[in-house]
Amino acid sequence: MISSFIANPAFLEDIIRILFVFVLITAAFTLSTRNIASLLTVYAVQSLLMVLIAIFLYMIEGNKTLIAIAALTLVSKVLLIPLFIDLIGEKIKISRDLKFNYLEPTASLIVSMGLILLAYVFLSGFFSELIMSKLFFMGAVIGLSLTLMGMLVIFSRRKVITKAIGYLTMENGVLLFGIFVADLPFIIEILIVIDLMILVLLTTILAIGLDSTIEEYHQRLQTLKIWSGSGD
Amino acid sequence: MLEAFIYIAVIALITGTVLPLLYSSKKSRKASFGLSFVSSIFLLVFAGTILYTGEESVFPAIRFIPGLDFTLTADRLSGGFILLIAAVVSGVSIYSVEYVEHAKSEARKDLQAALTNLFILAMMMVVLAGNMVCFLVFWEIMSLSSLMLVLHDYFSEENKKAGLFYFIMTSLSTAFLFMGFISLFKLTGSAEFGSLNYPASDLTLPFLCLFTGFGIKAGLVPFHKWLPYAHPAAPSSISALMSGVMLKVAIYGFLRFLLSISTPELWWGTLILIAGSLSAVLGVIYAVKESDIKRLLAYSSIENIGIIFTGIGLYLIFKLEGVESLALLSLAGACFHAFNHALFKSLLFLGAGSVVHATGTRNIEAFGGLIKRMPHTTTLFLIASVSIAGLPPTSGFVSEMMLFQAYFYSSALPDPLLKVLLIITLSVLALTSALAAALFVKLFGITFLALPRTRCAQEATEVPKPMLLGEAMLAIFCILSGLFSSRILALLDFDLGIPDMLLLGLILVGTCGLVRIAVRNSGPSKTRTSKETWGCGILDQLPTMEYTSAGFSEPLVVIFKKIYRTEISSTRTYSDTKESIFNSGTAKIHLIKFFQERLYLPVAYAVSLISSQVSRMQNGKLDTYVLYVFIAVLTLMTFTRYFA
Repeated sequence: MISSFIANPAFLEDIIRILFVFVLITAAFTLSTRNIASLLTVYAVQSLLMVLIAIFLYMIEGNKTLIAIAALTLVSKVLLIPLFIDLIGEKIKISRDLKFNYLEPTASLIVSMGLILLAYVFLSGFFSELIMSKLFFMGAVIGLSLTLMGMLVIFSRRKVITKAIGYLTMENGVLLFGIFVADLPFIIEILIVIDLMILVLLTTILAIGLDSTIEEYHQRLQTLKIWSGSGD
Repeated sequence: MLEAFIYIAVIALITGTVLPLLYSSKKSRKASFGLSFVSSIFLLVFAGTILYTGEESVFPAIRFIPGLDFTLTADRLSGGFILLIAAVVSGVSIYSVEYVEHAKSEARKDLQAALTNLFILAMMMVVLAGNMVCFLVFWEIMSLSSLMLVLHDYFSEENKKAGLFYFIMTSLSTAFLFMGFISLFKLTGSAEFGSLNYPASDLTLPFLCLFTGFGIKAGLVPFHKWLPYAHPAAPSSISALMSGVMLKVAIYGFLRFLLSISTPELWWGTLILIAGSLSAVLGVIYAVKESDIKRLLAYSSIENIGIIFTGIGLYLIFKLEGVESLALLSLAGACFHAFNHALFKSLLFLGAGSVVHATGTRNIEAFGGLIKRMPHTTTLFLIASVSIAGLPPTSGFVSEMMLFQAYFYSSALPDPLLKVLLIITLSVLALTSALAAALFVKLFGITFLALPRTRCAQEATEVPKPMLLGEAMLAIFCILSGLFSSRILALLDFDLGIPDMLLLGLILVGTCGLVRIAVRNSGPSKTRTSKETWGCGILDQLPTMEYTSAGFSEPLVVIFKKIYRTEISSTRTYSDTKESIFNSGTAKIHLIKFFQERLYLPVAYAVSLISSQVSRMQNGKLDTYVLYVFIAVLTLMTFTRYFA
């Protein structure tokens, strides 16, 4: 019985749609959660959702690259990166990121609703001529929204770790968009993962070496007069 | 064949630019100015031929990058302005051979020689430009080379201020020109200069931008303020080129645009006429008060630019009212005045340079009695002064008379409002001419006549011969263009009914001779007895008894005191509490620099306020920059969805 469901593309498409909703929920958590440990869990879950989406899409399309992407994402984003960031968190003994820049969580959530709407309107204008199934269009919209929400996280959160998670979320958005629209070559996907690894390494250096916030890093730069100092 | 003259001139000027930079010696500087003189001769022949034959000369386009062609063309309009450049350059280059040697260091001398050649080359190329790209590129070279020449004495605070002022204004001018040309390009789809057969409403934006851009460069009120700063700061030979030629290049650019429009609007003409009249009268009123010789001449340039713009405005008005003959008369008057002003103003600046060189000061209160110490300079300065004052039979008289004639015949215009405007601007022009005469009586009288007021004037000696020769060259051009004005205009096929100045000159000389003979031969007795008259108890005439510059202009200052807007402030202290026993006090008469204090400074403050707000955006915080990127992405998305 299960195998008959799995063989049915309509059912799989429904599942993917449900996963899209979960992805959006994880993004909302990333925007509003103050506890770093749960933020990390949310990221791992989000990455796992990516893995699942890639697997289900493979079942519909049969493109083997999707399986490779799923495997790579599972190893790197579900297991390695969260583990690594967890280690950093333990080392710098910061468990919470309490303060926000420009947008408080509620406002962020409202803005992100607007972002999803904008992504939808923007892409509907773009893809109106292309013949594309609704699922793929939805995937593109969610992917683009996730990218923009990741960016929102980068500038609205203060700690380096949360910023790094914002960046990782953006990358997840790009991955989603790539899976559904652009048909990213696998090599690019590998390169992006390497990029992420380097990002996490740099984050470690910044977070441990420079007291964990970008503000303090900025202040140090200012005392070194690297910036003109007009901001303050 | 004719194009070869331009190629030779260009090669000569480029060599003249490079030579002093490669070999620093007096000889190479001499050769550099020699080359600019040679180029001026070739240009004179070229321009003369173009003007006489009326042939259009088109040069093969030079392509640097696809879509960026440099095209050069020469028609009668550019021919006229090339003639103007060549005439002034011929005098200035001879003058500069000796003048440049008085600069403070070898490096400055070399730089001055090189930049002068580059400046001349750029001005020439602007006039020859056949498309907007070529025009703007050489326009910028012209502006920057002149800026560096203004800043030649870069350690002096005055020069730094003048340079900064000039830089801001010239950049503003270029910005407006860019806007004007871009809007023209958008309209026509071509960067080439050509006739513009578009409805006037489409051309309003280009007109306003180009009028402002060229107006700033030409020194039209209220954009004139850079002239009285830049001219005194620059070396005199450069002031001569800037005032004589560069301002005219701006007028050339404006005319090039205006004459290519088939259907201008009446309010354009009215705007140009009012701006011109205001510049003329305010320029001369400010000049009367001035006692710095070069600043005075700079204000006088504003006045003359105003007169030229008046002619251009009249041309547009008459053209639209259908009076073609008067339109032609006004335009010819404006162009001829531009040519004449180039000659006599350059001569005046060179003369001023000689006087400043001999006395070491620019303050005319310190001069006096130079006629005995510098007789040749005095004669040459007198020729220019008489021309600029518009006395017959000089060229200044002819061009102003052409404009007055156009005004006088305008009574046939049907529009009553226009008539009133023309009567008002005519009276303004008349006032300007009268004040200009008074101004140069003052300048010449205070500088050269009577007794030396200071030691520096007493010890002044005549300047070296090359400097005199340069001035003499311009003086000859001045006299010739005056005496043969009607013949020159007839040769160019302008039948404008100008009286023959040669005849008038001869009659004037004859009358003067007759009067002199009559005075000599009349009288009751031919035997002379000379006795000392009663000297009112004064034993000797002293320089302090002479009219000062300020004293001479005092009546005019009183009449126009509303325009000068002096502010008198005083403070008093008293020895007692009831303020009845006066202890001490100060009183100050402050001349309000109206345009500077009420227009330039508020604009400058506003700009600095906005820029300080903008600079706050650049705060060095990563989050802010990510926010900018975020907003930019969203804006782009919205834009591409709905507008692209």
